[in-house]
Amino acid sequence: MAERGGSEPRTRPFPFPGGQAPRTPRGPRARGAVPAWALALPPLAVLGLVFLYPLALVLRQSVSPDGGGFSLSAYGDVLAQAAFRDALVNTVLIAVGATLGAVVLGFALALVIAFVPFPGGKALSRFVDVFLSFPSFLITLALLFVYGTAGMANGLWTGATGAAHGPFDFLHTPWGVLLAEVTYFTPFVMRPLLAAFSQVETAQLEAAASLGATAPRIVRRVILPEALPSLAAGGSLVLVMCLNEFGIVLFTGAKGVTTLPTLVYGKAILDGDYTGACVVAVVNIALSVALYGLYRSITSLNGVRRARA
Amino acid sequence: MSGITFENVTVAYGRTVVLDALDLTVRPGEVMALLGPSGSGKTTALRAVAGFVQPASGRVLIGDRDVTALPPHRRGVGMVVQQYALFPHMRVDANVAFGLKARKAPRAGIAARVAEALEMTGMTAYARRYPRELSGGQQQRVAIARALAVRPDVLLLDEPLSALDARLRSGMLAELARLHRELPDVSMLYVTHDQVEALTLADRVAVMDSARLQDCGTPHDLYRRPRSEFTASFVGDANLLPVTVTEGGADFAGTRLDVPPAGDVAPGASATLCVRPHLLALGAGPNTLRGTLTELQWRGATHRLCVDVAGHRVKADVRELREAPPLGAEVALHFAGEDAVLLPTGVARG
Amino acid sequence: MLVHSRPARWAVWAAFAAVFLPVFALPFLVIVAASFATGWSGALPSGATLAHYRDAARGDALDALVTSLLTALAASASALAVGTWSALAVQALRTRARRLGRAVDTLFMLPVAVPSVVVGLSLLVAFSRPPLLLNGTPTIVVLAHAVLVTAFAHQSVTAALSRLDPVYEQAAASLGASPAHVLRRVKLPLLLPSLSAAAGLCFALSMGELSATMMLYPPDWLPLPVTVFAATDRGSLFSGAALAVVLMGATLIVLTAVSRIRTRASYR
Repeated sequence: MAERGGSEPRTRPFPFPGGQAPRTPRGPRARGAVPAWALALPPLAVLGLVFLYPLALVLRQSVSPDGGGFSLSAYGDVLAQAAFRDALVNTVLIAVGATLGAVVLGFALALVIAFVPFPGGKALSRFVDVFLSFPSFLITLALLFVYGTAGMANGLWTGATGAAHGPFDFLHTPWGVLLAEVTYFTPFVMRPLLAAFSQVETAQLEAAASLGATAPRIVRRVILPEALPSLAAGGSLVLVMCLNEFGIVLFTGAKGVTTLPTLVYGKAILDGDYTGACVVAVVNIALSVALYGLYRSITSLNGVRRARA
Repeated sequence: MSGITFENVTVAYGRTVVLDALDLTVRPGEVMALLGPSGSGKTTALRAVAGFVQPASGRVLIGDRDVTALPPHRRGVGMVVQQYALFPHMRVDANVAFGLKARKAPRAGIAARVAEALEMTGMTAYARRYPRELSGGQQQRVAIARALAVRPDVLLLDEPLSALDARLRSGMLAELARLHRELPDVSMLYVTHDQVEALTLADRVAVMDSARLQDCGTPHDLYRRPRSEFTASFVGDANLLPVTVTEGGADFAGTRLDVPPAGDVAPGASATLCVRPHLLALGAGPNTLRGTLTELQWRGATHRLCVDVAGHRVKADVRELREAPPLGAEVALHFAGEDAVLLPTGVARG
Repeated sequence: MLVHSRPARWAVWAAFAAVFLPVFALPFLVIVAASFATGWSGALPSGATLAHYRDAARGDALDALVTSLLTALAASASALAVGTWSALAVQALRTRARRLGRAVDTLFMLPVAVPSVVVGLSLLVAFSRPPLLLNGTPTIVVLAHAVLVTAFAHQSVTAALSRLDPVYEQAAASLGASPAHVLRRVKLPLLLPSLSAAAGLCFALSMGELSATMMLYPPDWLPLPVTVFAATDRGSLFSGAALAVVLMGATLIVLTAVSRIRTRASYR
């Protein structure tokens, strides 16, 4: 699979024969040929029509509810609702928690695959790639069979103890969403990490080990600094994706767990309140796009660092 | 038939000047080698002809056509690069036909031209192979056939033999010389850092260093009559000795040497005397240098002697000696006056 | 490399398996097992049956599969076309106007940052009235999917372009090929492996898309994820599992076929 959430180097130095590589190999352009900016116009027009223009309409509807005049009244209404505040808090807490979980788990698992190699490790990284191409809601569906009221874990418990009900009943709480998101997003952290780990030279680790460094010390002093940019990039991308996650929360089906995306869905489709939905949408966009800007600046910094190295 | 003319061509990336005011003419049908160390600007000069770098100032002419502002595909040059750059998704014959199809040559003529180009490079038997099925030398032959198939007036070769091993390289060098004889109308600009390639193949050699043209002349001239210390040391091996110019000769560490005068160094001035190691002979003679033998290397057909003459290291290559003098022995070396050249003293280079 | 003693290595591997297998491998096994069952009240499912698959092979479920395949095909084809074009444009801009190139690149990556639900909402707001009345048609679903996956096509092709050695286009240009000829005969063929990978990714993402689809789907255009949700929502977990297996299977078959094409293209 290609790089969904990968942080591959974007540019590679040109192999210029003989001399130093100039930064911009600009040749003369044909007279009368299409300039580069004109080449960009058709796809930009498509993007504008089907993505940017609709987004602008969402913004407009959120500030002029009745189609005329500027008014922030809709914001006042929505922000006053307890349901909105709960959704906002839920969204942020679950996203931060899931990201932390995915980063820790992803780092540990990638560490083993890369540095304590075992037969089948390559197949495992392919499995991780396949994992990335499946939709998120499958995880919640699976968890229903594992931890659901009539699932594997509770079945084992009741079978062993003879109790009428099992002890596992957290799927319809924020913890269920958290577990599903950690599971689903961990591979998104692992992929860029595995790419970064493949750049760490074995000789470096062996040199450190021969100098008497213990494994935890090597991880802390050699591997972690090397992996930190990829970890930051992967983590911030996962944070954005968690903020925007919809399928997992929808499948959990918990009335008590509302996040911003499900609130947008509820207001627009279930309540028919488009203006309210647009207000929530704008808040959600602002949150995600700000974080995504952070992610882009991290990855472009990584690119610069690589180019300098 | 058309040659290449550089008129005051300067190329810069930001503040770094990589080619400084190059003036150079490649005559029609001539092979001109651009010889220099890496970073000397030779590849930049070639890429300016191909159209992949845009000069900050100056003009590039092919024949009498100013191509400075033309995009690469309108320049009508053939180009062969070090890493072959064969299209990996096309068979050999499709690679060779590429330029003809791109120029919309009549379909009927294409097959004949492809066959001719493959014949010329000895690759006819490999027409249906993919590049990855060929050796490096074979790939480079295909790349040359591809460039020749469009019958360019000008052929640009950028370190074409550098990726080949030494044995293949000498074979390909002979092939290129044969191609040049068979195609007397094609002007070639041949970029290399290897003096053997330049001296073997080129009608004239342009020596480049630090973004500047240092010297230009026939291989024979550059070798026998270099005009700068850089040329003397880069083209062939040389002893460069500091001397004081005297009336009708030069003085080296108190020894008077009878060498032809140089036009631009006046008596009394400091200069550098250039003598090729193989033109020095053991024993006393007309111009004799005496010193202590410090190193002796056997090189098969020759012996390389290093002699300390008044604190200067003088290298001499002599025919294999039956009985070599022991290290530390006093030896005398001599050379014919007309084999030495007086050069203006420049910045010494390693 | 990192852990040198044999027992320690085994300990690390055991810990790895103890986390990896239940967390990542179990979910898929569980779904597959459930799809053949009618109940699950013990350690293992019970009541083995093929009934869910018989249901999945006809009627609404089959329609949903066809709907998903058609949607994914249309969305990934248009995403690939737009994404390839935009990646080429960004590359051309980068050599001449670095900042502008970066800005265009950011615009095309923006759909990754915007929640899919919001993309759905925005299309609903924009195309619910004439002249562009698409609400209630399959087109709006395809459009949403295309918007969401174009960013990934753009990103993949951009990465592939930056890995492409410029020496091939330069050789082609020196042989007299115009930029259009170079694109058609040299660049696109060399990019073919990356393009097919990008197409596979877009297809897979579109097959699993739920968020925007939930906002937009008309009653006569129900993709598989929506039917999986509908089944679980009304409590038919086991037939939902069978539909999910069909979804995963169809995605895997297409991905495998695409990677076959890719291998052939890169060995040619």
